[in-house]
Amino acid sequence: MLDALKDVVRKSSIHVCLINTGGCNGCDIEVVALLSPRYDLEQYGIYVHNNPREADVLLITGAVCEQWKENLQRIYSKAPEPKVVVAIGNCPLTGDVFNQEGSSVYAPVSDFIPVDAEIPGCPPRPAEILAAILAVGPDAIAAKGRQKP
Amino acid sequence: MILPIGPIHPGLKEPVRLKLKTQGEKVISAEIDFGYVHRGIERVMKGKTWQKGIFLSERVCGICSYIHTQTFAETFEKIAGERVPLRAQYLRSLTNELDRIQSHFIANSTYFKAIEHETLFMYMLHLREPVMDAIELLTGNRVNMGWNVVGGVRMDAEEKHLNSIYQIITNLEAEYDKYVEMFEEGPLLGLRSKDVGKMSKKDAIKGRAVGPIGRGSGLKHDVREDHHTYKDEFDWKVIWRKEGDNYARTMNRFDEISESIKIIKQVIENIPPGDVRKKIKIPAGYADWRNEAPRGEVAYMAETNGNLIQNISIRTPSIMNIDVCGKYMLQDVATVADAVATYASVDPCVACTERVIILNEKGEKTEFDGLHKVKYLQ
Repeated sequence: MLDALKDVVRKSSIHVCLINTGGCNGCDIEVVALLSPRYDLEQYGIYVHNNPREADVLLITGAVCEQWKENLQRIYSKAPEPKVVVAIGNCPLTGDVFNQEGSSVYAPVSDFIPVDAEIPGCPPRPAEILAAILAVGPDAIAAKGRQKP
Repeated sequence: MILPIGPIHPGLKEPVRLKLKTQGEKVISAEIDFGYVHRGIERVMKGKTWQKGIFLSERVCGICSYIHTQTFAETFEKIAGERVPLRAQYLRSLTNELDRIQSHFIANSTYFKAIEHETLFMYMLHLREPVMDAIELLTGNRVNMGWNVVGGVRMDAEEKHLNSIYQIITNLEAEYDKYVEMFEEGPLLGLRSKDVGKMSKKDAIKGRAVGPIGRGSGLKHDVREDHHTYKDEFDWKVIWRKEGDNYARTMNRFDEISESIKIIKQVIENIPPGDVRKKIKIPAGYADWRNEAPRGEVAYMAETNGNLIQNISIRTPSIMNIDVCGKYMLQDVATVADAVATYASVDPCVACTERVIILNEKGEKTEFDGLHKVKYLQ
């Protein structure tokens, strides 16, 4: 009974934390564009709060720079269970153009934290980001919430 | 007490660390720490051809991604001693101004979010979306366009697309004044913005502030004045103000949007027919080139052997602007909320600000005295 109630609540109130681990900013402004009245993220119950301690979904952009090798794991552990990680753009998947000899990026991000969804694109369109959060967010959060540790 | 803000914080969109030294609610001084998004672009670019380098230069910064490719291309055109066809110059200016409009909208919306005026924040983002549509119509992508090449632009714009862009810009101009008036004459917004985060002209010169931040403090400096296309083809003027506070910086960006709208209209009305790309053979050589990015002056210094990029150095505007913000604006701020608003008003872009410290062989910090003298350790 309580689990069913929690499922309903979790599905309609998703808090998002945006973590830029060293990209060009392009994906971040596409997330900001999602807040605009045209896409209106908040009508789906998604709230971009940028606070890892109350996040259900961590949006990772960027190709994991030197400073983030340890800090990413720390931020991930600060987010409460159940949580879902969505990697936005090519950088967290492959490192994109930065992943070359001599650069200081350590992609992919899945080497550091488990990733639930990946959206390729440089940058992906806002509607794609929204669709990915909605596709993976509510159900995965509810399913993870039911697993007892 | 030291109050740390960031790197991941509800008030910030990008990872940067503000260390505010506070006394009660008052902020006495501030320190800004970078280093969270350093990717080593200049180093990767070395030893590549320009065809590869231009994609890397586009990804220095995602918001002003267009101007980086234009400056990169114009640096190499200067090495070759040639200019692109006039139609390509017009198209470059058109995209540049569209990019400036969307960047200023997002900068102002971030400022309104920082002063907790959610209504104007939404209005600004709402006005920005049609401009993004115009950019997409012209170049085929919203953010990283891949539109410039050395020698011109990648594809020609169709007449019907230019007409659509003209329509979008006319609609924007018609409803734009209403929102500017909300900020310009709103009494509470004025109270929240006027005389906050002041920087004098002297400090702006000392800290080498550029772009709308310098111009908001009375520094009448715009690199577009020296650019051949803007100088010869268009009728426009440099926007500047004297107050030097958050209000001046935000209003400066608003006025620049009106000026950009004027330039875009001139471009579409007078665009000449002709080629948009010509073949340029690049000899060995060195050149530097400056352009006005939405945030100020961006400079590229490049050396090539005719085929590969041997050395490249990029100077982006945000490094100076964030520096003057920490040094001069965040001194004796009344509250912590004002400090965050002041930081948002300088339009910080951390992705292009990251730098490395240059050390000599003994491991001591040295001055950076010229691109040619730096040798990377293998």
